[in-house]
Amino acid sequence: MLGKLLKHELKQSARSVTLIYASAAAVIAFIFIGMLTKITWIGVVGSIVLYLTALIGVVMTLVSVIRNFYETLYSNQGYLSFTLPVKCSSLLSSKVIVSVLWIILSFLLAAVCFLVIGMNAKATAEGSMAGIWDILELSGLKEMLPTGATLIKLAVIFVVTVLLLVLTFVSFVYFAVTMANTRLLQKHPKLFGFLIFFMTYGITNAIGTKLTYSLPLSLEITTTDVNLVFVAMDKAEGMLSYGLGGTLFMALVAVGLLFLTGWIMEHKVNIK
Amino acid sequence: MEQLITVENLHKAYGSKVVLDGISFNASPGQIIGLLGPNGCGKTTLIKILTGLIKDHTGTVRINNEEPDAYTKSIVAYLPEKSYLPDWMRPIDALDYFTDFYKDFDKDKALMMVSRFGLDLKQRVKTMSKGQQEKLRLLLVICRNAELYILDEPLGGVDPAARAKILDLILENRAASSTVLISTHLISDVESIFDRVLMISEGHLIVNAHVNELRENGKTVEEVFKEVFSYAW
Repeated sequence: MLGKLLKHELKQSARSVTLIYASAAAVIAFIFIGMLTKITWIGVVGSIVLYLTALIGVVMTLVSVIRNFYETLYSNQGYLSFTLPVKCSSLLSSKVIVSVLWIILSFLLAAVCFLVIGMNAKATAEGSMAGIWDILELSGLKEMLPTGATLIKLAVIFVVTVLLLVLTFVSFVYFAVTMANTRLLQKHPKLFGFLIFFMTYGITNAIGTKLTYSLPLSLEITTTDVNLVFVAMDKAEGMLSYGLGGTLFMALVAVGLLFLTGWIMEHKVNIK
Repeated sequence: MEQLITVENLHKAYGSKVVLDGISFNASPGQIIGLLGPNGCGKTTLIKILTGLIKDHTGTVRINNEEPDAYTKSIVAYLPEKSYLPDWMRPIDALDYFTDFYKDFDKDKALMMVSRFGLDLKQRVKTMSKGQQEKLRLLLVICRNAELYILDEPLGGVDPAARAKILDLILENRAASSTVLISTHLISDVESIFDRVLMISEGHLIVNAHVNELRENGKTVEEVFKEVFSYAW
């Protein structure tokens, strides 16, 4: 059933984000026309619009993830969702997977938009189209980039960290929205939803930040290697260090909150 | 006889307000049961408990010997009082949705019904009239070969001429062994199809009887209802 839930979840949520992706694609095409025809104003106007599209795209994706979760479960549509012959855990899993997917896609879209803006800036400055490598050179980052296996390790760490951050955000939002729709709080679901989200997210973030610096578990990053070391972040050596305490703590809290959300959906939620 | 619905000593309160207080009844397969009572008496709450939409109650509720869960939802076809289909959905999407999730959904029959009701498969719910939306929701329910149909005010927003047709449709399309629980305040339109009647007043089940017992004194179910609930007017 999870496959079918994913299919319909994608169908439902795609409507709100595809317009953003289509707009970004149109603006990127517009900028490339400007670069190819060397008409400067097209690139300038296109870059401003693309910058706004990227920002609005991320914000709208986050808003649509929250709105979609609320509407499909706790508005009248809840009569459809909660009477499906599936377990609440499956219902929740499908929503988490699809939401994480859309948020990651909107981040990727924003990255592509900024890359195109950079390429356009370079092309405008030098009168020719620039590649990714040229942009890195322009910004001075090229010399600092590690190579080979280190680069792959860093890329994996980056992807996992972004995934965990997105999953954490989604789990806190879903928990807050679900709690706000339990019997005691459902008279003012929006108010309680915001309060619960900011309180739980704020408190766990504060603890997470403390653990990032104090827990003796860090990554030492140099241009040649990435090592796991059992010292606190500020005591680690190397070009860069990254304390893992906060990330691990937030990931554990996120998983715990998802289980709790599933349990509340199964046992405590009353559909109005 | 094996019971399809078993409810024992069911209690439900919203804060200090008791909505259902010690409700107990059984329903065997094949019956058409009228669930009657004035507004706010707890009919919809009882239905929501039976369909698994409300969980925080006390007492026993079983459908085919199971507490409301994914299994019972697979054998119960529920028509809520509220409009629950999202605005973007078209009849073709709704049919796909029900085909995917309900093994007992008869898509061919549903396509035939869409045509019979004069609905456009590609028209969005948002642009449909209230009557068209109600027809769509009704056909989604009656095109399931469910063991239990729970219909919450199915005739509420329908004109008198259409009510008889809708009742005929429900009777024509349900399996003979299926049970139908209909909550309604339009008793005169429906009472001819009831086998049994449950009347709820202020959270208590005050009548649980076969219609023939109620009609023994030559009264209609509606007349009995008016007698029982005379305080409400």
